[in-house]
Amino acid sequence: MTQSVKADLLIVGMGAAASMAALYALDANPDLNILIVTKALKGKGGCSRMVQGGFNVVLHPMDSHEKHFMDTLKGGQYINKQDLAYTLVTEATATIKEMETRFGCFFDRNPDGTIHQKPFAGQSYDRTVHKGDLTGIEIMSRLTEQVIKRGIPVLEETRAVDLLLDESGKTVTGALLFDMRRGDFLVAEAGATLVATGGGPTQYRFHAPGPEKSVDGLGMLYRAGAVMMDMEMVQFHPTGLIIPGSVVAGALLEEGLRGAGAYLFNGNGERYMLNYAPDVAERATRDVVSRSSYIEMTSGRATPEGGVYIQASHLGPEFVLKNFPGMAERCRQFGYDLARGRVPISPTAHFVMGGAAVDLNGQSSLEKLFVAGEDAGGVHGANRLGGNGICESCVLGRQVGKALSKHLHNGNRALATTRKDQVKETADRLLRPFTRDSGPSPFDLRKRIKEMNWNKVGVVRDGPHLTEALAEIDAIADEASRMRVSGGRNYNMMYTAAVDLLSMIDVSRMVATSALAREETRGAHSRSDFPKQRDDYGLFNSNLRRGSDGKPVIEKTPVAFTRKSLEECQNYRKG
Amino acid sequence: MSATKRNVRVFRYDPAVGGDGGFRDYTLEVENASAMTMLDVLLHIQREQDPTIAFRFACRVAMCGSCGMVINGRERLACKTNVSDLPPSEDITLRPMNHFPVIKDLVVDMDPMFNKFRETLSFFEPKEQLTEPARIAPDAPEREEIRLATDCIACGCCVSSCTMVDHHPDYAGPAALARAYALIADSRDGLFQERLAAALPSCHECRTETNCTEVCPKGISPTRAIKYIQRTALVQLEVTPKEAEVEETEAPPARWEVDRATFIRGAGVAVIGAAVAVTLGSVAAITTVGPTESAAAEEWVSVGRIADLPQGKVTTVLLNYEARSGIYSQTISKPVMISRLSDEIICYKTACPHLGCTVHFENQSDEFRCACHGGTFDRSGSVIAGPPPRALDRYRHKIEGDQLLVLI
Ligand SMILES: Cc1cc2nc3c(=O)[nH]c(=O)nc-3n(C[C@H](O)[C@H](O)[C@H](O)COP(=O)(O)OP(=O)(O)OC[C@H]3O[C@@H](n4cnc5c(N)ncnc54)[C@H](O)[C@@H]3O)c2cc1C
Ligand code: SF4
Ligand code: FES
Repeated sequence: MTQSVKADLLIVGMGAAASMAALYALDANPDLNILIVTKALKGKGGCSRMVQGGFNVVLHPMDSHEKHFMDTLKGGQYINKQDLAYTLVTEATATIKEMETRFGCFFDRNPDGTIHQKPFAGQSYDRTVHKGDLTGIEIMSRLTEQVIKRGIPVLEETRAVDLLLDESGKTVTGALLFDMRRGDFLVAEAGATLVATGGGPTQYRFHAPGPEKSVDGLGMLYRAGAVMMDMEMVQFHPTGLIIPGSVVAGALLEEGLRGAGAYLFNGNGERYMLNYAPDVAERATRDVVSRSSYIEMTSGRATPEGGVYIQASHLGPEFVLKNFPGMAERCRQFGYDLARGRVPISPTAHFVMGGAAVDLNGQSSLEKLFVAGEDAGGVHGANRLGGNGICESCVLGRQVGKALSKHLHNGNRALATTRKDQVKETADRLLRPFTRDSGPSPFDLRKRIKEMNWNKVGVVRDGPHLTEALAEIDAIADEASRMRVSGGRNYNMMYTAAVDLLSMIDVSRMVATSALAREETRGAHSRSDFPKQRDDYGLFNSNLRRGSDGKPVIEKTPVAFTRKSLEECQNYRKG
Repeated sequence: MSATKRNVRVFRYDPAVGGDGGFRDYTLEVENASAMTMLDVLLHIQREQDPTIAFRFACRVAMCGSCGMVINGRERLACKTNVSDLPPSEDITLRPMNHFPVIKDLVVDMDPMFNKFRETLSFFEPKEQLTEPARIAPDAPEREEIRLATDCIACGCCVSSCTMVDHHPDYAGPAALARAYALIADSRDGLFQERLAAALPSCHECRTETNCTEVCPKGISPTRAIKYIQRTALVQLEVTPKEAEVEETEAPPARWEVDRATFIRGAGVAVIGAAVAVTLGSVAAITTVGPTESAAAEEWVSVGRIADLPQGKVTTVLLNYEARSGIYSQTISKPVMISRLSDEIICYKTACPHLGCTVHFENQSDEFRCACHGGTFDRSGSVIAGPPPRALDRYRHKIEGDQLLVLI
């Protein structure tokens, strides 16, 4: 018999979106029973912690929500859900202030004591709030403290493996959890379930998010039948470190380096960005630089390490050490000298713009199921601006928390009944790798899917490779159904890798299917067989759901220009 | 760069197996010592030699504080320590942090530290209901003062390195005190008095050994924080700080008596919202008192009345007792086999000396048997058959009045 717990609100994940939602839901409604479950330790997992740059928000009288809104739509190449993006920019101002006044965050200051804001790419005004280059640590440490202060129960190292549904398949009743320490399942049922596991495209050879993440939320949402959107939109950051053989590979060198004037060179020593973007060169946007580097790397002009080089030494070693001490130290740890030499880098998978389709309250297409943060789609369109990611998690986490407290107050706390056999079927299937005497290793399969995605569903895509990729994903899925895991069930990391792989398979399939269906280049989605953005064709969102055969079914729906027309978007320039 | 062979000693302990755990050796080919972190070392061993090994990480770039462990005798982050940081002549030795319960191998339960954060009220409580962020210049003295302390990633390295943590049950430990200090210096915070009262007694326990400061991967000095709190108390509260006691006895934790009322008020704040706890009774994670360097001190535990233990039989009794180790305590249930087969009372451990499975006494055969690998012992616990390397382990016992006590 699997143990079970009940709550009014089950929150899956403990990043910024999850924590903000928990705090705001509880503060509005102190008698709510909230249960947080996280794959890592309290407040330690996920990408919110890893935020270096900062948080975009309008604070200065010279800036305006209108400008932040237009920058966000421009960055997203017009396919954003406008109402979500509007909420993001308008509510960001109050959110950041409350994070200071209520939760004790302390961001960097101007000499006059007001909050300092720095420039970030794609912005018409300097609006990025930060704490040095460790903004995420400040935010997550303060939010975690507040969760602890309120005594909200947190199950650590307990991962959700699937959402639970009622008989009709339309209402989410909670989630099946796996307590990684004990190696046992646990059923959590709740009046409402919030999924906030923070996307995190670790299914690629190089990735910036920590390897603890494995797109679990996206996989779970898809398997439950929620409508997903724009899954082809995966952002690659242009400057991930290459460290052969190390798990640190893919970790970021921050964007500010290019902003400050660093050069990029290919293996032949040429400053190739001058060819791709003669006016701005290395200062071009993330998508352009990533794509250009990738083309160099795959056209026989890679460095011996398989990437390209970044050079900052011409800015002066003192300048580099003074302005980028954290980055210089990160390089030094691996024997690279950022201040005096060249450092090998590669584009690295960074962020998932796609996710569950949600309304302004975070409600998904299924009853009692809410989604916030990187797991939700729509707000960033085809490309996310630097600084809008942690902003999304905090702002929309707060919105959803408030909405949930209202929703649960209005007589919606009742628990629905989970379909009779779902728990047993899922648990039995998931435990099978322990019972086999032989079978493929999850470590090997994980490596295979990462390489496959990198080569065929990566920075630059084309029809034939995407078609191959889909077949290869099926083959990997088939092998995964025969995986073997050795050792006991308690704290078994090989088993963790096996369950991670299952999420990666589902998400890879969604990304490849959506990428094949969008026959143009837009934002982060780059097709060498359709290299142009086609505004007469591409102004749609790729809505996707799991079909009856388990494979994704895509429906293209026209973008709703609810606040700004296409012309206003197209004519918008910085300034 | 040519590959070199390194011997890696990893502490292994699995509660499912039991026992005290121990080191296991692995040999690893290191291609490039300056580009290989301890995390890479562990991942390699896991992928290529032993998939059952357990350790913890999340960010892999020194931001989350999940991978603290004792590396060649010193607390460090596995992701921030490269093979080349250790002398090539030494083995690489990895063991779990001190003072925390071990969950498995190198993985520890960090809740004891989070609990200390709560006890020292180490969370922001706004002084006033403001709508605008406070105006504080970047070079304001309060900010200059705390500078680095807010960068703490709660990795627990300092707690593990501190020798006082083990001596005083109420000691909050360096991490919680470093956070308390940052809040005490924060003019926006409303719990100045309460927090000072909650943190001060712990500060007196500090012997200024500065281990915490030496190991902190973020360059924070909890020692300095502790001295700052004491100094602030001196100035603000006009009380004379109590000197640290020099003798190493289990002195009752020094409580700051001057304003007990404030202390209690402060504690009240800490439990706001605790009422929301979902009933998780049966769910609580199994955390074992792990065999870290500072194993819990031995103590006498009562088994019950001797008259209740039948003569001529072996009775297994489950002892429930409170054990404390470092900064945490927990209820432990431990089975003990009491033999009254002869006149002499003998108290045996139920763990088989082979691999720690549970041993039972079989009346028919008059032998102790282990179900796992067929280990068999005679009435006096000596090995008759099977793989066990030695006789059944015994507990010391004594009789007080009509009670039997064992030393656990
Ligand atoms: C290196 C890096 C730098 C970045 N820098 C910036 C920046 O400067 N500015 C910016 O705006 N954005 C930045 N981003 C993006 C930003 O970090 C994310 O958009 C944001 O943090 C996502 O927040 P979240 O709350 O949705 O998820 P996360 O913070 O990722 O939290 C997810 C939580 O879910 C948990 N979890 C995962 N799987 C499960 C499961 N199966 N069951 C239970 N729990 C689970 C995790 O442990 C974690 O607690 C950066 C991202 C990275 C990787
Ligand atoms: S003070 Fe330093 S060593 Fe202690 S928990 Fe914080 S970061 Fe870790
Ligand atoms: S894994 Fe996050 S600090 Fe080492």
